[in-house]
Amino acid sequence: MFRQLQARFGGPLAMAIVTLLGIWLIVMVTLPQLQMIEYSLKPNLLPAQIGGPDDRFTLANYATLFDNDIHRTIFFKTIWSSVLVTLLTLAVSYPLAWYLAKVATPRQAALCILLLIVPFWINEILRTYSWFIILAFRGPLNEVLMMLGLIERPIRFLSGNGGVMVGMVYAYILFMVFPVYNAIESLDDNQVRAARDLGAGTVRTHRRIVIPHAKPGIATGCIMTFMLAAGSYAVPALLGSPGSRWFTQIIYNWFFEGGNWNQGAAYAFLLLVLCIGFMSLVMKVFKVGLGDIGR
Amino acid sequence: MDGSVRLDEVVMRFGDFTAIEKTSLAIGSGEFFSFLGPSGCGKTTLLNIVSGFLTPSEGQVFIGDEPMAGVPVNRRPTAMIFQNLALFPLMTVYENIEFGLEVRGVDKRKRREVSERLLALVALEGSGPKRVTELSGGQKQRVAIARALAVEPRVLLLDEPLSALDLKLRQHMRTELKAIQRKTGITFIYITHDQGEALNMSDRVAVMSAGRIQQVADPMTLYREPATGFVASFVGENNRLQARVTDSEGERVRLDAGALGELAGRAGRETRLTNGQAAALFLRPEHLRPVAADAAGPRLEAEIEAVHFEGAWMMLETRLVASGEKLRVQLGHEVSRGHAGAFAIGQRMTFGFDPADAVVLPDDGSPMVDEETGEVVDGDRTKAGGTHV
Repeated sequence: MFRQLQARFGGPLAMAIVTLLGIWLIVMVTLPQLQMIEYSLKPNLLPAQIGGPDDRFTLANYATLFDNDIHRTIFFKTIWSSVLVTLLTLAVSYPLAWYLAKVATPRQAALCILLLIVPFWINEILRTYSWFIILAFRGPLNEVLMMLGLIERPIRFLSGNGGVMVGMVYAYILFMVFPVYNAIESLDDNQVRAARDLGAGTVRTHRRIVIPHAKPGIATGCIMTFMLAAGSYAVPALLGSPGSRWFTQIIYNWFFEGGNWNQGAAYAFLLLVLCIGFMSLVMKVFKVGLGDIGR
Repeated sequence: MDGSVRLDEVVMRFGDFTAIEKTSLAIGSGEFFSFLGPSGCGKTTLLNIVSGFLTPSEGQVFIGDEPMAGVPVNRRPTAMIFQNLALFPLMTVYENIEFGLEVRGVDKRKRREVSERLLALVALEGSGPKRVTELSGGQKQRVAIARALAVEPRVLLLDEPLSALDLKLRQHMRTELKAIQRKTGITFIYITHDQGEALNMSDRVAVMSAGRIQQVADPMTLYREPATGFVASFVGENNRLQARVTDSEGERVRLDAGALGELAGRAGRETRLTNGQAAALFLRPEHLRPVAADAAGPRLEAEIEAVHFEGAWMMLETRLVASGEKLRVQLGHEVSRGHAGAFAIGQRMTFGFDPADAVVLPDDGSPMVDEETGEVVDGDRTKAGGTHV
């Protein structure tokens, strides 16, 4: 890699790039992670006790999660909800990606993409707040539904998981739409025409031709959405009810309210391990490699 | 199994552009029928109308006397072979061929039987478990044919399927396609801009230009009795000389070709010529032969500009001395052998022809075809819509 860079940019610049990349990877990614791991393996001590007889490595912080019923439940609930968010986002994004890639005229597609992107010019917190307003008990959505006569009395969208789901699907839709769109776009139209010509209906054409072709894109979208959902803090904090706490909120509490960084680090590390595990599983199921995702 | 296809006053418009002018046509069951024309003439549009990918703006399509209006692509008794074949790259050869049967709910054992039988038909035994990406161009071609035949279509639609192959393979596949058609007895509708393919394989050919069918005939008639100037210049090579009819009596026509003097020819079949009418005399290069400068019959004096020796025959590019028009002359081996070393660039020669070989057609202002590329170079309608296929 260094040779290629050297050929392209010359020796000094190539050296500078590699050095900067190295500093970034080591100082800003690897070392903090290692420190978190070290924190997570040590008990939470008063400053005076550090270096004392109690300052030794222990797995006690990890054990906490398995001893604490509530935290464990929230941990698995977070995973499960993130899976749900991922599936919901895929269900919403796939038709949209198909429309953008194969049905819409270039003008329609451009307009549609613009409409998708514009809201993301606004800060995530503000976007999430706007959903808070829309979904509120006396908010516009309930008003409209009542006006249309579809419901008799307002629904509490924000209690339970509904609000969090809606907020997250909305927040991560772009991360799903674009990889899937890119994958579908590269499919030769004649493949679809050939399948139709041989008698396949819409469902079978998608199941046998389009989805297998778009698999790397779908896997990429799913992994990104899952990671973002599992690590999300703002959406569950704003749109969640006490019953829909996210694991990230517990990590946050350990750090900033409990003041127990060691415990928080152990929780954060477990979440990281789980996400990596999930990612490898998805890649295995979809038979895609890391290279496919980079594309 | 009736595989006849009938187009009843079909018109296709895209916005302001008329891709297919009102067209009626009947194709018999089991016929090998070709649409021949330059790109943009509407032949692919016509194929898409038969397959159901396009709905005609006016008129109706019948397959085996059943109206196809409202019948979607996946319910029509047709199968298409695409120009780029459109094999499914993620599937094996078996899976490709069996796809249509899978859709129809045929069970696995029966499917495999059918695909084995078809693989034998296209001479690809044993290739079933391979991925299509492992196959060569010719093998892919065969898989595409087998895949289309698997659904037992009454009509097979072929959209320039040989254009991606190299010359040798293309000629070989012509023979094979024709043999498969004869064996299966399925109606083949073949789209091509390559007149060699059309003449070689077809029972009948429809020559198209600018959204209009110019002539429908068997290949020999098409070559010998072109009905329009476009057909005369698009099918095979032809020299076209502008002239004015001076005397027409039955088939025999006398013409005044201006600087070229008086010429004679034969009126095209079903062509009415009146004295004084502007006409075009079509002379095939192989019908010209060197004659003595004072020989009887029509004569043309020309200067040789280039000589292409092809072994069995030789092509002379010449320019008429009197008018400056180009004249291509093809001489068979028998003739050129007698004149060894006589064909030098710059040399003047006199060529004669039998008036019975020279077809005279009214000068209908039909588009001219470029000799080298086979593309239409004139005719404003074609030009305007040339990009629309």
